[in-house]
Amino acid sequence: MNDQAKQESNSPIIDVRRIEKIFPGPVVALRDFFITVERGEVLVIIGPSGSGKSTFLRCLNGLEEIDAGTIRIDGISLDENEANRLAIRRKIGMVFQSFNLFPHLTVLGNVDLAQRLVQKKSRRQAAEFSRRLLEQVGLADMEDRYPHQLSGGQQQRVAIARALAMMPKIMLFDEATSALDPEMIGEVLDVMRQLARDGMTMVVVTHEMGFAREVSDRILFMDKGRLVEEGESQTFFRNPRHARTREFLQQIL
Amino acid sequence: MAPMLPMIGGHRKKSKSLDCLLLALVFAATGYLGYRVTMQLHYTWHWGDIPQYIVRFDKGQHRWVANYLLLGLLTTLRLSLYAAVPALVIGLAMALARISRSLFWRMTGRTYIELMRNLPPLVIIFLVYYFLADQLIPLIGADDLLQNLSPRTAHWLSLLVAPPATVTAFVPAVLTLAVFEGAYIAEILRGGIESVDSGQWEAAHALGLSRGQCLRHIILPQTFRQVLPPLAGQFISLIKDSSIVSVISIQELTYQGTQLMASTYMTIEVWLLVAAMYFVLTFPCSLLLGRLERSCARGAT
Repeated sequence: MNDQAKQESNSPIIDVRRIEKIFPGPVVALRDFFITVERGEVLVIIGPSGSGKSTFLRCLNGLEEIDAGTIRIDGISLDENEANRLAIRRKIGMVFQSFNLFPHLTVLGNVDLAQRLVQKKSRRQAAEFSRRLLEQVGLADMEDRYPHQLSGGQQQRVAIARALAMMPKIMLFDEATSALDPEMIGEVLDVMRQLARDGMTMVVVTHEMGFAREVSDRILFMDKGRLVEEGESQTFFRNPRHARTREFLQQIL
Repeated sequence: MAPMLPMIGGHRKKSKSLDCLLLALVFAATGYLGYRVTMQLHYTWHWGDIPQYIVRFDKGQHRWVANYLLLGLLTTLRLSLYAAVPALVIGLAMALARISRSLFWRMTGRTYIELMRNLPPLVIIFLVYYFLADQLIPLIGADDLLQNLSPRTAHWLSLLVAPPATVTAFVPAVLTLAVFEGAYIAEILRGGIESVDSGQWEAAHALGLSRGQCLRHIILPQTFRQVLPPLAGQFISLIKDSSIVSVISIQELTYQGTQLMASTYMTIEVWLLVAAMYFVLTFPCSLLLGRLERSCARGAT
């Protein structure tokens, strides 16, 4: 490994500096926000609704454009350059609260499509890899079903397999279990837990505090578009420093 | 909830007797009108002479051949089918222009759609016809080309499109219809594209698909499934609207009707028959549309 590559692999995989996002209104969604995430780290973001958690995730892969600041993902800067944006999206997989599976494609088609269009894999190669991923999320026998024939938990697991199909270095989870019936949350969290164990870098927005405590390396509390407090997940829940954090944790725990 | 049920039943019963009353009134009115028409109308019916204008026996060839009205019907059918394809292409292009990220394309799409929807089709057809047929086609020498066709080519041309002498009018007619209907199709498609959940775009973008790939593989397939019923409805409109090209002497059904009326004075018979012939063309389309809507509704759940 040469020096530059060594430096690259030691530097944080996500490097966000002083970003700002203002929606028309104007509503300030993110203000002076900064964070770095190391390779293999699992970062959980918590905070009241409207605190900018989802907006932050969506800025990371360019679904929202930032109004100020810089975002670097694995050494590539997210800017107006369309090639950079696409390169970054290839490194990042995203799982949405509302699944957003493609309803006109089968389960296999959902997992296949981007492999063929973006990675230019052959139909056979793509299907082969897709089946491995579906097995990994426990849906090996579902490949010919359509999304509407699946339960919410199954749909979300397909969505995870679809994101993993691009072999991302980072996975973003935007309230991935919030739209699920209680009995289906566990199966999705299991898949996420396994991913974390396998060393995937993850940024997770969630209300599942048990999951956050168990799986995350670090927890970040946001309020009104600002980072209020961050800390090791073990110490974070035991002694939060800020009054606002204590108040929030009391409300939800 | 239980007391509600008899009330609903009673309501239904009441409307049924009202229906019967209305139906009886309609019958009575029709009967009276029929009586007045047969007894007092100064109009001599010539239904017996009508069938020969649909098909006639050609003594020279010793076989039955299509006559004015059937020929007109076939021309209407050809017009509609040929106009539908470019109309769909124009509609799709303009719908995409309307949602483009470039201001230029958005304005192009908007201008086109607003012009077409706010001008009378008759005016558009005169404009297109006199520009295309009178100026442009002679300019590119298409006239000479058409006059010097081999008999074989001319035969196929008149079978599939129009007789060589009228091609220069037929093509502008098809184009006008396509350009005119294209505006409505564009709006149907745009509505369909915009009704696809924005999460679909986001999921596709997050996977690294380009905007074009998103449209082609994710958005448009869902759009077409959704807009199939209104598109089919627009095709029925296209069949009906094709009657306007009679003003540039395209010998479609309405034109043949006017000619026949002028030469035979069998006004009411001719137009009743023309109406029936349009209906024969559009009604099966409507039935098909109904089935399509039901199957689309099933597919959506």
